[in-house]
Amino acid sequence: MREAVIAGYVRSPFTPAQKGALAKVRPDELMAQVVRGLLERTGADPAGLEDMIIGCAFPEGEQGLNVARIVGFLADLPASVAGTTVNRFCGSSMQAIHIAVGAIATGAGEAFVCGGVESMSRVPMMGFNPLPHPGLYERAPEVFISMGLTAENLARKYDILRETQEAFALESQQRAVRAANDGGFTDEIVPIENGGPVTTDGCPRPDTSLEALATLKPAFDTEGSVTAGTSSPLTDGAAAVLVTSADYAQRNGLKPLARIRATAVSGCAPEIMGIGPVEATRKALDRAGLELKQMDLIELNEAFAAQSLAVLGELGLSHKKVNLDGGAIALGHPLGASGARITGKAASLLRREGGKYALATMCIGGGQGIATVLEAA
Amino acid sequence: MQRVAVIGSGVMGGGIAAHLANAGVEVELLDIVPEGAEDRDMLARGAIARLHKTKPAPLMHANFAERIRPGNLNDHLERVSEADWIVEAVLEDLNIKQKVFRDLEKVRKDGSIVSSNTSTIPRAQLVAGMSKRFERDFLITHFFNPPRYLRLLEIVPSPAMEPERLEAFREFADRRLGKGVVTCNDTPGFIGNRVGGYWMQCAINAAIELGLTVEEADAVMGRPIGVPKTAVFGLLDLVGLDLVPHIARSMLATLPEGDDYRRVVAEAEENGIAAIIAGMIGAGYTGRKGKGGFYRLNRTEGGKVKEARSLATGEYAPANRKVALESPRAAKQGLRALVEYPDKGGEYAWKVLSQTLAYTASLVPEIASSISDVDSAMRLGYGWKRGPFEMLDLLGVEWFCERLAAEGIAVPPLLAHGSPLYEGETQLMVEGIYAPVPRARGTLHVADLRKAGEPLASNASASIWDAGDGVALLEFHSKMNSIDPLTLEMVAEAVELVEGGDFVGLVIGNDGEHFSAGANIGLALFVANVGAWEESDKMIRGGQLAFMTLKHSSFPVVGAPSGLAIGGGCELLLACDAIQAHAETYTGLVEVGVGLVPAWGGCKEMLRRWTEAGPHGPMASVTRIFENVGTAKVATSAFEARDMQILRDSDRITMNRDRVLADAKAHCLELVDGYEPPEMATHHLAGPSGRVGLQMAVADLLRSGKATPHDGVVAGELAMVLTGGETDPTEELDDSDILDLEREAILRLMKTAPTLERIEHMLNTGKPLRN
Repeated sequence: MREAVIAGYVRSPFTPAQKGALAKVRPDELMAQVVRGLLERTGADPAGLEDMIIGCAFPEGEQGLNVARIVGFLADLPASVAGTTVNRFCGSSMQAIHIAVGAIATGAGEAFVCGGVESMSRVPMMGFNPLPHPGLYERAPEVFISMGLTAENLARKYDILRETQEAFALESQQRAVRAANDGGFTDEIVPIENGGPVTTDGCPRPDTSLEALATLKPAFDTEGSVTAGTSSPLTDGAAAVLVTSADYAQRNGLKPLARIRATAVSGCAPEIMGIGPVEATRKALDRAGLELKQMDLIELNEAFAAQSLAVLGELGLSHKKVNLDGGAIALGHPLGASGARITGKAASLLRREGGKYALATMCIGGGQGIATVLEAA
Repeated sequence: MQRVAVIGSGVMGGGIAAHLANAGVEVELLDIVPEGAEDRDMLARGAIARLHKTKPAPLMHANFAERIRPGNLNDHLERVSEADWIVEAVLEDLNIKQKVFRDLEKVRKDGSIVSSNTSTIPRAQLVAGMSKRFERDFLITHFFNPPRYLRLLEIVPSPAMEPERLEAFREFADRRLGKGVVTCNDTPGFIGNRVGGYWMQCAINAAIELGLTVEEADAVMGRPIGVPKTAVFGLLDLVGLDLVPHIARSMLATLPEGDDYRRVVAEAEENGIAAIIAGMIGAGYTGRKGKGGFYRLNRTEGGKVKEARSLATGEYAPANRKVALESPRAAKQGLRALVEYPDKGGEYAWKVLSQTLAYTASLVPEIASSISDVDSAMRLGYGWKRGPFEMLDLLGVEWFCERLAAEGIAVPPLLAHGSPLYEGETQLMVEGIYAPVPRARGTLHVADLRKAGEPLASNASASIWDAGDGVALLEFHSKMNSIDPLTLEMVAEAVELVEGGDFVGLVIGNDGEHFSAGANIGLALFVANVGAWEESDKMIRGGQLAFMTLKHSSFPVVGAPSGLAIGGGCELLLACDAIQAHAETYTGLVEVGVGLVPAWGGCKEMLRRWTEAGPHGPMASVTRIFENVGTAKVATSAFEARDMQILRDSDRITMNRDRVLADAKAHCLELVDGYEPPEMATHHLAGPSGRVGLQMAVADLLRSGKATPHDGVVAGELAMVLTGGETDPTEELDDSDILDLEREAILRLMKTAPTLERIEHMLNTGKPLRN
C-alpha cells in the first residue's frame, strides 16, 4: 500500500462572519487564493496534480456549482487537474484528505490539493433554503437539533460546569493570542487580497477574562451553561494541504511535514454529536496500531468548550498537549475549512515541536466523528 | 446642492451632518485637532460613531453615515472648496466663529453659501469686519435639536444676497431637508427661543406662585393648550435644565432695556425657582440626560416608577398620573373655557397665556414681518398645535384685550384694533390691513379641502375628497386612523367613485400624525369574546376583498403615509400601486405583537415583493419575511422600509411632511397614462418541508428564551401561511390561496386565549404582552 504524506499546509486568516475583513470576499475566490499560496509555498508543480478535493458544509450559492472545479479555474490550475466538492459538514476538509489517502493507496493518483472553505457571512448555516424532511422531523427531531443544544446535552451528561467551560475558553484564547504574538501562524497564513491584503486572524479576543465570560447570557437554552464565549464563532475562512504519495514527494523535491498513518470516521447519536471524536479516535489509533498516550500532540476541533471537555474526559486527556496554538473557540470555525486546518496544523506542529505522533480529530453535526493519525516525516 | 461642509462636530454639527446625509448630500464634517491627538480626525470620527448610538436616531438609515467624511480643519480645509454650502456649528463665541469664517474665506468657491447655526449671536455682529463677499453670502440657519426631527429652520437672510440664490436655498431646505423655513429678523433668540423661552419662564414662575405641582402644571400646560404632552417641566427635562439659565443669560445680554423678558427672568430670581434650578443642575439633575429632572424614572426595586419632584421640598414621589384638577377636562369646550375655569388650573392657564400672548403680540414686527411667521415657528419648532396668534383668535381678540385691560395689563398695539388676526386665507398686518398668508407651492392638506367644501362621501371613520385634477383622496379620521368596517366601506366607495368615471386616480392619506395604526383590534376582541366567529370571518374577508378590489381596480392608487403605518395600515399600503412616503414613516407588519398574523393580504404581498426582488429559492424570501413579520419589525424611516420591501424601488420618499399629499397626487397622475392593473401573482412555495425549517428556528428561539410560548404558536401559524400550507414546490398557488391561508390562520389564533389576552393588554396599556 502506498503511503501518503502531508507536503504542505496553508490557510487564509480566519475572520468573524459579517463584520470581519473577509466578509465581502467570495468563498470561491478565497479558496483560490489559498490554493495559489499552497502551490507557491510548496513549490509543487500544478501539472502533476491528479485532483483538487474541497470540503464545504453548505455547498450552495457562491460556494456551490462544484466549487472545487471553479477554484481550479480561479487559481489558474491546468485544465487537466480535476475537482470535486465533498460534504461531511464540519468534517468536510478532513474527509477531503482521507479521500486522497485512499486514492494514493489504491494507485488512483499521486498528488492532491485537499482543502476546505466556508463563508459563513455569505452562505448562512442551514443554507438558503432549509427544507428538512417533515416526517423525519416528526419521528426524530434530534436529527435536526441545533449545535448549541448538543453542547448543552454534553454539559449535562458529563456535569461540566459553566466555570470549567469558561476556563477552557480563556485558555484557548490566551494560547491563540500568544501564538499570534510569537509568529506561530506566520508560516501557515496566506494573505488574502481584498482591496488591501488581509493578513491576520480576526476572531481571537485578547481582552477575554473569566469575569467578562461570566457575565454572558446562555446562548441556546435559558436554563443552560453554554454561552457565545464558550462556543466557536461564525467564521469566514479557507485552508488547504498538499497530500502526495511519499514517493511523489521525494521525486519532486517536496518537504513532507508528516506521514498519514491512519484515518477513521464514526457515527453517534445526533443529540450528542460533540462526542463523535471519541469513537473515531479509537478506531484510527487501532488501525495505526498505536495508543493515545503515544500521541505527542493533538488537534481537537473546539466546536464548543463543553463538547471539547466531554471528549477530553472520555479519552482521559488533559488540555496540556491539545491545541497548542489555541483552538476554534478563539480562532474561529469556518465549517468546511476546519478539518484541513487542524490536520495541517498537527502536521506542522509535529515538525515545530519535534514529536513523533499526532492526532487530529473533530465532531460533526448529525452525530459523527472523524480522526487522522500522523507520524513525523 | 450636492456637497455640504459642516464645521464643528458637536451635538448640533453632528445632527445637522446626519440630516444632510439623510437628504442624500455628501457631507464633509470638519473639526479641530485636539491637542496631542493620535487620530487627527478623532472629533469628527467620534461624532459619526455617536450617530449610530444616539436615540432617537439622527440617521434615517445606518448606511447613510457613509455619506459623511470625517476630517479636520488643519489638514482638510481644502475640502471646503468643493462645498456648495458651509454650515458653521462651532462654539457660541464670536471670536472663534469669525476665525473660522476667515479660514473659510480663503478656500470656499464663488457662489457657495456660508451659514451659522448660532442661536444667540446676531448676524450683524457675525459679519462685522468681514469682506463684502462674505457678507453677501452669509446667513443664519438656526436648526432645532434634534435636526432630523424638529421641522423648524429659522433663517436670518442676507440683505445683499441675490433673491434667486436665497430662493434656491430655501427650496433646498424645504424639499430636500424637509424643513419648514421661517424668515426671522436679526433679533435675540429669533422667534422660537424668544417666544418659547418667555413662555417656559412664565409657566415655571406661575407654577411656583400659584403653588401647582409639576404634574398639575404639565396637565394644564400640555394637551389642553395644544402643546405636546411634555408641556413645560417635561420639556425642560427633555432639553436639559441647563438650557434655562443659558437662554436667560444670552437674552439678558442682548435684549433691549425694558423688554418684558427681563421682567420674567427677574421674577424667577425673586420667587426662588432660579435658585432651585441652579441647585438641581449643580447636583446633576439636569433632566433626562442627567440623573433626572422634574421627573425621573426610579429603577430601584427592580421596577420602573415615574416620579415627580416637589417644587417645595425637592423630594421625589411617584408621579400623579391623574391630577385632581377639573380645568384640563374643561379645555374640551375650548381654550376660553380653560382659562375661565374657576380652579387654580384655569387661573394658571390664564396667567401664562395672558403674558405669553400679549408679549408675543408686542414682538411683531420686531422679530418677524408677519404673525403667520411667528405661528409657523411655534408650530414647527415647539410642536404647538396652534401658534400664539391662532390661540388669540380662539380666545377672541376683543375678549382677550378687555380682560388684559381689566387686569391693568397694557394691550399691545397689534391687538388694539380688536379685529381677528386671521380672516380666511389672510392675516392682519401691523398696518391694520389684511394680507394673504404666504403658502409654499406644491403643498396639499386635507384641511384645505375641508375649508373649501364638502367631501364627496363620508362616514365616522373616513371621507373621500376631490383633490383636483381628477384625483380623489381617501382620508381616514378614526382614532389613530385605525381601520374598521366603516373605513372599509369608504375604501369600496372610493373605488366605485373613481371607476364611475369622474376621476382618474386615488390617493390615500391624511393630515394626521399617523397614516394608520392598523385594524381596530378593539372591535376584533369584542367579536371574539362573544364567540361571533362568523363576524370575525366577515371582518377578515371584508378587508381582503376591499384591499384586493383596490389593488386590481382599473386606476392607479398611491398611498401617502407619514408616521405610523403598521399592521392593517401597512397592508393597505401594500395594496397600493405606489407609495409616496414621508421620510418619517414607521411601517411594518406588527400583527404577531397581538398574537395574530397579517390577514388582509400582508403575507401575500410580502411573498410577491420578496420573490420579485430578493434572492431566489423556495425559502430564501420566506425566511426574510418570516424574520421581519415574526418579530413585528417596524421600519424607523421610509428608507428602512425599502430594506423590508414594503417600499419598492419605484416608490418614492418625500422629506417635507407638508408636501406628501401633493407629491402623492402628482405621482398618481404620472401613473394614469397607460395604467394597467397588476395581475394576480402566482407563488411556488415549499409546503411542509419549509414549515419544518422555520419551526426548527423557532424551537431554538424558545429554548434560548428569545421567544415566549405563544410566540411559538403565532410563529407556527405565520410559517403555515408563508410556506403555502400543505402545498408542494411543484404546485402553483395564486394570491387567493394565500389569502385563504391568512384567514384560516388568523381565525385559529383568534380562538386562542393568549391571543385575546394580547389584544386586551395592547388595548389597555398600548404595549405588547409577552405571554
